[in-house]
Amino acid sequence: MRIVVCICQVPDTAASIAVADGELDLARVSWVMNPYDEYAVEEAVRLKEQFTGSEVVVMTVTEGPARELLQKALAMGADRAVELLAPSVQDSFRIASALAVSLRERYPQTPPDLVLCGKESLDYQNGAVPGMLAALLDIAFAGPVTSLAATGEMLELQRENENGTELLHVRYPVVISAEKGLNIPRKTGIRQVMEARKKPIETISVPDIQASLLLPLGFEAVSVKKSCRFAKSAGELAGMLLQDGHISAGGG
Amino acid sequence: MMTGMAEHYLVFLELRNGAIAKSSLDVWNRFQKFSSGRDSRVSAFAAGHAAEGAFDCLQGNGTVYHTDGTHFRTGCDSVVCAMIETLSGAERVTGIAFASTAMGRRLAAFLAGRLRAAFFSGCGGSGGVEKVCSRFIHSGTVIASYAAAADMTIFLQGRELPQPEFSSAEKPAIEAFDATPYVVGGIHSLLVHAVSQSCQKRDVAEASVVVAGGRGMGTREAFGMLEELAALLDGSVGASRAAVDEGWRPHSYQIGQTGKRIAPDLYIACGISGALQHLAGIRSARTVVAVNSDPDAPIFGAADYGIVGEVREVIPDLIGILRDVMAKK
Repeated sequence: MRIVVCICQVPDTAASIAVADGELDLARVSWVMNPYDEYAVEEAVRLKEQFTGSEVVVMTVTEGPARELLQKALAMGADRAVELLAPSVQDSFRIASALAVSLRERYPQTPPDLVLCGKESLDYQNGAVPGMLAALLDIAFAGPVTSLAATGEMLELQRENENGTELLHVRYPVVISAEKGLNIPRKTGIRQVMEARKKPIETISVPDIQASLLLPLGFEAVSVKKSCRFAKSAGELAGMLLQDGHISAGGG
Repeated sequence: MMTGMAEHYLVFLELRNGAIAKSSLDVWNRFQKFSSGRDSRVSAFAAGHAAEGAFDCLQGNGTVYHTDGTHFRTGCDSVVCAMIETLSGAERVTGIAFASTAMGRRLAAFLAGRLRAAFFSGCGGSGGVEKVCSRFIHSGTVIASYAAAADMTIFLQGRELPQPEFSSAEKPAIEAFDATPYVVGGIHSLLVHAVSQSCQKRDVAEASVVVAGGRGMGTREAFGMLEELAALLDGSVGASRAAVDEGWRPHSYQIGQTGKRIAPDLYIACGISGALQHLAGIRSARTVVAVNSDPDAPIFGAADYGIVGEVREVIPDLIGILRDVMAKK
């Protein structure tokens, strides 16, 4: 099976993001692999272990070097990594375009069997790249999945909707995104990290990707601080909520 | 962007069990309200089985294109996307709007790729309908503003936008859309085989009242009182990551950075300390109530109302009092 996993790095979840002069200041941020992408890499490696002869390629679109990110994916078990260097990659469409162009070059005859992405990146939380990429590759998009079982011919997937869970069957090729619950990503030890260093990382420059479809106008830090009114008893709390109209005596 | 051309919005109406989803109806009303008195139009597209009178709830002008195919009850997004693509081209649509549901999110992203559209997701304020979008990024700590730089804009809207109030004496025309050319027998690459119902009546992301529990609940069983309170307030139950990791509730209940982002009118956090990752999921909640035994819990900094106390004492008391008040009305 030919599997491609699209990954990215995001600020550590505890990082505080500063805004200076209307621009994001990420100078003091430490970067980690996007958690949803970890599920995607883990699932790809499990499929590789299930189907001998499979290859897992991880790809990232990045403005600057992202070696640590790629090394981590390689340590988890990916076979090779591709670093796509592109300017200004905040726009989902630009990211999806860079990935699509590179995938078409790498797989000129038929698309890879499976393209895995994280459900969304925790920084922009747009969740648009996987669907856009499927559209640009002209293959099906199955959405975020919480369970995946593969045979040589098809995938059996589960995904959540507002009412419950859907069970679906999908033929290759397909783009799938990883939702929390899909798996528990493996931890990597010294041995895996050392082995990863021997695996190939290609760097490809993609300067001429699509023009941005969203123009950033500015960034503004948000204060989340509210002033909390404390109640001493459940009765007092109920009184406040009823009086301020947050609960109506008529219910709902 | 072409100027001087009237905007034409196409709203995707999601059908659930034959009825229009409430979240889709909100999107329709929002665009109708925006367009009334302006030189812009609103149409809609609905795919799937519609019960008798399913479209009666729609007010305003425009046309609802409906295709009642049994062929894509299987959930074949690509067929639906192809139909929307054709319709947008033929009707010179300038913006396509979806409610932020599981299906809406899939269709919106795929179509944005197909149509090279500006993708406006989760935009608050007036950004719901205009060509400028302001949305939270970085766990709700930063608001980013964007302008659309494409002829087509795709809107993905959830409860982060205020509930629209729109009424009109007019009714849209309902027109049948022929799905036959889009359905090629037997080559669906994706088929939905089974759907299992969640025990929850309404997803936390769509609920107007959410009652959630965290580690402070102590046990899985303690969530029973949250179910009770939620039922009383016609709300849904959620959970913090800690409670999900404990196995007290499934992942679909999780609120926060790696869970759902919710935007209820009222959010009641019970035994939730309020880590940054949790607060990221409740940034759009309008009123927040926190119940926690630790007076220094960060959740109180993000709350409008608070009570320092044991959830297992406070919540049953609250249920009792509210039940009395509601019985008296």
